[in-house]
Amino acid sequence: MQYKASLETYAGRIREVVIGREKKLLRIGGADTFPFHSFEGSLPNPPQFALEVYDTEPEGWSKGALEPFKDVVADPVRWARKCVENYGAELVCLQLLSTDPGGKNTSAEEAAELTRQVMEAINVPLIVYGSGADKKDLVVLSKVAEVCSGGNLLLGPLKKENYEEIARAALEYGHCIIAQAFLDINLQKELHIKLCKFFPVDKIVIDPLSAALGYGMEYGFSIMERIKQVGIVHKDAMMQMPIIANLGKECWKTKEAKESERQGILWEGITALSLLLAGADVVVLRHPETYNLMKKLTRNKGSYSVPM
Amino acid sequence: MILIGESIHIIAMTVSQAIEERNARVVQGLVMGQTDAGADYIELNLGPARKVPEETMQWLVRVVQEVTDLPLSLDTTNPVAMEAGLKVCKQRALINSASGKRESRERMLPLAVKYPAEVIISVLTDEGIPAGADSRAESIMETLTIANEMGIANENIWVDPILMPVSVDQKAVYECLEFIEMLPDLAPGIKSVVGLSNLSNGTPRELRGILNRTYMVMLEKYNQYGAIVNVFDEELVRLNRGEMPQVVALIHRVMDGEDIDLALLSPREREYVKTTEVLMGQSLYSHSWLET
Repeated sequence: MQYKASLETYAGRIREVVIGREKKLLRIGGADTFPFHSFEGSLPNPPQFALEVYDTEPEGWSKGALEPFKDVVADPVRWARKCVENYGAELVCLQLLSTDPGGKNTSAEEAAELTRQVMEAINVPLIVYGSGADKKDLVVLSKVAEVCSGGNLLLGPLKKENYEEIARAALEYGHCIIAQAFLDINLQKELHIKLCKFFPVDKIVIDPLSAALGYGMEYGFSIMERIKQVGIVHKDAMMQMPIIANLGKECWKTKEAKESERQGILWEGITALSLLLAGADVVVLRHPETYNLMKKLTRNKGSYSVPM
Repeated sequence: MILIGESIHIIAMTVSQAIEERNARVVQGLVMGQTDAGADYIELNLGPARKVPEETMQWLVRVVQEVTDLPLSLDTTNPVAMEAGLKVCKQRALINSASGKRESRERMLPLAVKYPAEVIISVLTDEGIPAGADSRAESIMETLTIANEMGIANENIWVDPILMPVSVDQKAVYECLEFIEMLPDLAPGIKSVVGLSNLSNGTPRELRGILNRTYMVMLEKYNQYGAIVNVFDEELVRLNRGEMPQVVALIHRVMDGEDIDLALLSPREREYVKTTEVLMGQSLYSHSWLET
């Protein structure tokens, strides 16, 4: 008699979020099973990876992180192009760090104009992260939404303090959004419920916050795991959005990454792989080498399983 | 279910001030209000009672007994205050509470024998609050054995599983329910009690009532004996008196896993269904759980 493994089937499915325009669409999520469980359910889309670009010349970066981009770091548009043309990025993440009122405090208008230039310079979809300062992000991301009208960007982070206006702008000008609560699954759901009163559920991606391996990664890991369980097993419609892990910046801050380029790439890679296993659907990376490594690991001969 | 009125609580500003100033009228007003509202016991919570513990507790018991004939539940962590209160109680009182902690076993439990009084024993031990229904069971069995050996019969013991706020630990809320379900098998004849309002600590004020009421009805399914509650919640008292049998049946149907067609229900009934699902751990808690 032939052995047949018994398999789980789940009632819920993660929603598919589509970002980008026309021929450069990218699909995120859509699975009806846990990450890499291709043996028991369907995983219509592979994990997606973005390379990050900063709106201002980076300060204090290690040599290893800077090396691949040292000729373009002064020009975010060229930097973004290099990600796509030289390193094959299928997705770019623009970090509008310089808009932080505690730093350079770049104006919303300037940030929005730069975003538009980056968006137009590349033929792949764009994620845009504000600095994380609630009030400033409200102005910056709303302006970005307007100036990049119709670009179907993925904009964030939207928090309970500023979600309403940014989401309304994203809705009006045709973008997707990233909802973020500070490592708290109950508050995360609360934010989704409030958003979904006026914003389409299939244009939301969850950012439960990510930290690097050895620097608190477990917290985000557990929450991602739990979000996936609640969405897939318990069919909680308010927790079925795909998840983003914005982890490049966390990994390259670590002592280990600063010590050597190779260590940094591995640190970023292990963190990324761990969070993919926990449930991340999109991962933001810094180093092109990590990007290659992750793609090789997760797109084995056209399937999305990790090679044994 | 036996309802213990929680309003005389040292954490409430008005109460703490009234006790400090020995203002009998404020205290008596709250006691009469709770008596009229349908309380079966009056809880007198003095907390750690550090300042003149004996005199304070005796004053409180005396002024309360001037206006009610209900039995009292004396709640203090200070055994000196507890004993002083027990001395002047006219009715058989309830000690709230003893636990498996060494100090409590040595100083609180003997009071239940000496006076004699009924006693609430919580699952707390020197190791903290046990996690999960099974470890709650394990902890309480140890303490119960000690209590029985001292001569306290199960009939005089009310077990408190320590209910956690649903906004803090949703899983623990369900585990409490599992524990209450298994309790009669563990210790035949034992009574059970919970601090019901703690369930909704941290939840927006206007939403606390429905959480507390729903959980009370859920506990009732497993023959919960008593609960420390806000008896000024009229709907809670009506539910407990059996005046809303449809709601009780509805909550119990959700607990049994029946698929309920929300479209056939009134808005109020829908809220009870959603709340039961949250408290059963079937749907993730958020402050907006009623809005989905």
